[in-house]
Amino acid sequence: MNQSNIVISDYQKDILQELMNIAFGNATADLTNIIDIHIELSVPDIELLAIRELPEYISETIDTYSETVIINQKFLGDFKGSGLFVFPSSSGHDLSALFEESGFECSQLSGSSLKIEIVMEIGNILIGACVGKISELLNTSVIYSPPQAIFVKENKYDSLVNLFDSSQSVIVMKTRFQQKKGEGFILIITDQDSLDWLKDALDKFMEAYQ
Amino acid sequence: MIHKILIVDDSPVARKMLKSCLPKDRELDIYEASNGEEGIEIFKKVTPDLTFLDLTMPVLDGYKTIPLLKQLDSDVVIIVLTADVQPKSISQVLSLGAFTLLKKPATSQSIQDALKQAEIKI
Repeated sequence: MNQSNIVISDYQKDILQELMNIAFGNATADLTNIIDIHIELSVPDIELLAIRELPEYISETIDTYSETVIINQKFLGDFKGSGLFVFPSSSGHDLSALFEESGFECSQLSGSSLKIEIVMEIGNILIGACVGKISELLNTSVIYSPPQAIFVKENKYDSLVNLFDSSQSVIVMKTRFQQKKGEGFILIITDQDSLDWLKDALDKFMEAYQ
Repeated sequence: MIHKILIVDDSPVARKMLKSCLPKDRELDIYEASNGEEGIEIFKKVTPDLTFLDLTMPVLDGYKTIPLLKQLDSDVVIIVLTADVQPKSISQVLSLGAFTLLKKPATSQSIQDALKQAEIKI
């Protein structure tokens, strides 16, 4: 996979990785406050790639499923971009069952509409907790757009590229959420405009720990 | 009195953050490892008074490291410092024999409080 022209030092990458670790821990704790679940966290992985490389990256990262649901939630502020929660549909069905068992109320919908709404809610919680914690640690705040669900058949992610500015490079920050009934991935995509701010914010964050 | 401290965490940034939270007015020998396997090797050599341990690490994670450290020294004092504060994670590390669990990011206050408690135990 080609590396984009993003320049971020190894040290800044290490800082970002640790912030992701903290943020994902926060996200899972938020989710476990709502449903009776335990999620195994992986070591966060930071990848630098161009947006055109995203479809290949996702299809290489996850196994082939008949359908994958991607929850896309944009956030705006000093730190801006999109959070993607990539979730194989089978995992979504199982997790939504857990939500229902926990008495989670999410409107009067039923059947597949209810399951989509539940997966969107899970994505919303996880993306919000991740982005929110990173923003908090970097001493800023963000506002969110409503989440959107994107359905992908047979690992064909090419259409994802159209959601973003194809000229931009991205930092993909990924961690894997695993639990006994499935797995999902969160990718946080931020654009070139946010990078200078982000690098400066990362350096300032560590100044407190000199 | 705690004098030798071992920090086991795959993130060099996390280790640096933790070191900056340790008391500056005490002479401490600090040893670092980037995974459980390295941590065990260093533990054998220096026998630290206190071990800070991350949970999510490559090679050998914190959950698997705790019993191995307990085998080496049944009185080992392990403070788990982790971002994973799910109820099951907390109960699991405590049942494995960790002294306590602290949430990342550590603060000087949380670290110094934990050190005081650990010194009472030692």
